[in-house]
Amino acid sequence: MANILDIVTVLMMGTSFAVFGLRKYKYSIGAYALQTLLLVIVFLTLHFKYGSHELLVWAITAFVVKVICVPYYLFRLVKKLGLVVEDEPVGGFFISPVVALSFSLAIAMMFYKVFIHFSLFQDVLPLYAASFVFMMGIFGFILRNSFIKQILSYCLFENGIHLSLALMAYNSHELVEIGILTDAVFAVLIMGILAKRFYATYESLDTSKAINLKG
Amino acid sequence: MNTLLLILTIPFIFGVIMFLMPLQYNVLKKSHIFLNLIVSGVLLNAVGKVVHEEELSLFNHFFFLDSLGAIFLSLIAITGLLVNIYATTYMKWELEDGHIDLRGVKNYFALSFIFTWTMSLSVICNNMAFMWAAIEATTLASVFLVAVKKDKKSTESGYKYIVLCSIGLAFALYATILLYAAANGKVDGEAMLYTNLLANAENIDTMALKLVFIFALIGFGTKAGLAPTHTWLPDVHAEGPAPTSALLSGVLLKCAMLGLIRYYAIVANGVGLEFVQMIMLVSGTLTLFIAAFFLIRQHNVKRMFAYHSIAHMGVIAFGLGVSGTIGFFAALFHCAAHSFTKALAFCSTGNIAKIYGTKDMTKMGSMIRIAPVTAVLFGIAICSLVGVPGFAIFVSEFLIFKAAALDGQYLLMAIFAIALAIIFIADFSHFFLATFGKVEGKVVHNSEMKLSENLPLLALAFLIIAFGVWQFESFTFLLDESVKTIIKQ
Repeated sequence: MANILDIVTVLMMGTSFAVFGLRKYKYSIGAYALQTLLLVIVFLTLHFKYGSHELLVWAITAFVVKVICVPYYLFRLVKKLGLVVEDEPVGGFFISPVVALSFSLAIAMMFYKVFIHFSLFQDVLPLYAASFVFMMGIFGFILRNSFIKQILSYCLFENGIHLSLALMAYNSHELVEIGILTDAVFAVLIMGILAKRFYATYESLDTSKAINLKG
Repeated sequence: MNTLLLILTIPFIFGVIMFLMPLQYNVLKKSHIFLNLIVSGVLLNAVGKVVHEEELSLFNHFFFLDSLGAIFLSLIAITGLLVNIYATTYMKWELEDGHIDLRGVKNYFALSFIFTWTMSLSVICNNMAFMWAAIEATTLASVFLVAVKKDKKSTESGYKYIVLCSIGLAFALYATILLYAAANGKVDGEAMLYTNLLANAENIDTMALKLVFIFALIGFGTKAGLAPTHTWLPDVHAEGPAPTSALLSGVLLKCAMLGLIRYYAIVANGVGLEFVQMIMLVSGTLTLFIAAFFLIRQHNVKRMFAYHSIAHMGVIAFGLGVSGTIGFFAALFHCAAHSFTKALAFCSTGNIAKIYGTKDMTKMGSMIRIAPVTAVLFGIAICSLVGVPGFAIFVSEFLIFKAAALDGQYLLMAIFAIALAIIFIADFSHFFLATFGKVEGKVVHNSEMKLSENLPLLALAFLIIAFGVWQFESFTFLLDESVKTIIKQ
């Protein structure tokens, strides 16, 4: 069981790099859907390993909402806007994934050492992966200029938080998970609407063009 | 029916009702005012019960209302009501000028109820993670109150708002998760409840608590506008409609500050006051000076007030940082004083933009002749913001000086005085530019607003002066009780 958990979480880290780095939106959204499916597998594995019923419910809701609904919405958004490839990120297509990867690995190394002391489940690699995925999301916001990539970055760090929540606070009140998940879904929906508006006004999704408000 | 259940349901239901209203402006306006009166009545009823020392809780203490929450709930009720009444006037002007259509007005009114609902939710949450979810929901509910128009600037402000606040708040969620993990098994009862965490804070690992507070400061500090993660605030406050800016600055920033104060209380009781005070002092000083520096350079009246919001969040942080109970009392008082003042300031910019058709103060002038009531209201807001005696903000700033003086922290007093002096000079030079002298641009609306249109602003001005010269017993009781629960004697 421990091996499955480690393999799946390493794959989650790999997919977060794919979400960040892939230039074609279609592939990037696909990588996100795959990552969320892996997250569902982590929930199920933890459920069977520790007998925590809550995580079974989390797995089901995450599958419906994050594996099916959110990627479907993002695929539709990209199709509606007629977009294929993202705009050039900060530092170019090669440098930005390298920067994000190295810094995320380093920061996750610091975070997990703290978290392991307090975590309800003492699984090292999943805890490390949770921080890594979270940081990849944060760097996605900082380094990628495309609005769609920034929505995906939000989804990434939300997955990182979701995994942390499962490892460190799975037995908290059930309304907590519902509240956080509802926020995440509405955030993606609202960012999607704003992305459409952004495209309509700027004729691009390059957020580096948003420089009208300064001072 | 349980009072908290009413708070949980009524604003949301009213939001849905507003969405279903017919597209007739008079119907929308009357409904908006009437339903807001009911919402405020419900919120103030709950506050009244706390003042009469009634315990309010719901769903096994998942939701609760303590004296600290009651202070912020009263701000949502009073400032929220007055700003929402002013919004009916402002939206009428926007409608007449063709900046928005009737459907846009309806959506705006409906969303403002959802916004009130999310803010009230964040105040009454005892569960820390759900409080986080409610504060994140305030961002989501208010994005389209900011990005009302579909032009470049409006879209940009909406984009910056949701992206930067979401990133910042993610750290606050990490703080919550870490706090729960560190407290689980070490506190009596559910480890996610604020009341349990506060009562058992000394059992929680101190290193974990320190890290939790730093994460919480990054997260809630971003939302509250504390430097260096304040960058979203000037763009969003300057670009949104005047009533939205008034609500964001007057109420929303305080809700985020309440989130931070709850963490402050837990960590202060677990680690000791010195640690949290030191962090808040650094954050407050940095915020004050960054805001003061940018304030001097502003000519856009709304942007100037936006930097003021940042500066006054710095004052609150500074108050939480100077010694003990007086500083904490002052910080909480400042939340209320700034709420009324900033609501008046931003609402008066609505009048000013109507008169001159611009927000650029270099193109204004002679306001005292064109619209004397608006000029006086603008002056009251400025006087309170810079801490002139007799106005609400003077009380809290004076108390901060007193707290520092009693503790012999003269260097802190000097730093605080320098920052306030910069803000004082910047503000009065801008005020004189807009109010006296010749009009440099053009006058679009060459008369004063109607008395009925200025009524909510007059009520806010009255509150600013009343809180500056009078001590309200029930409000002081709430402040004293909050200080007692947080800084245990």
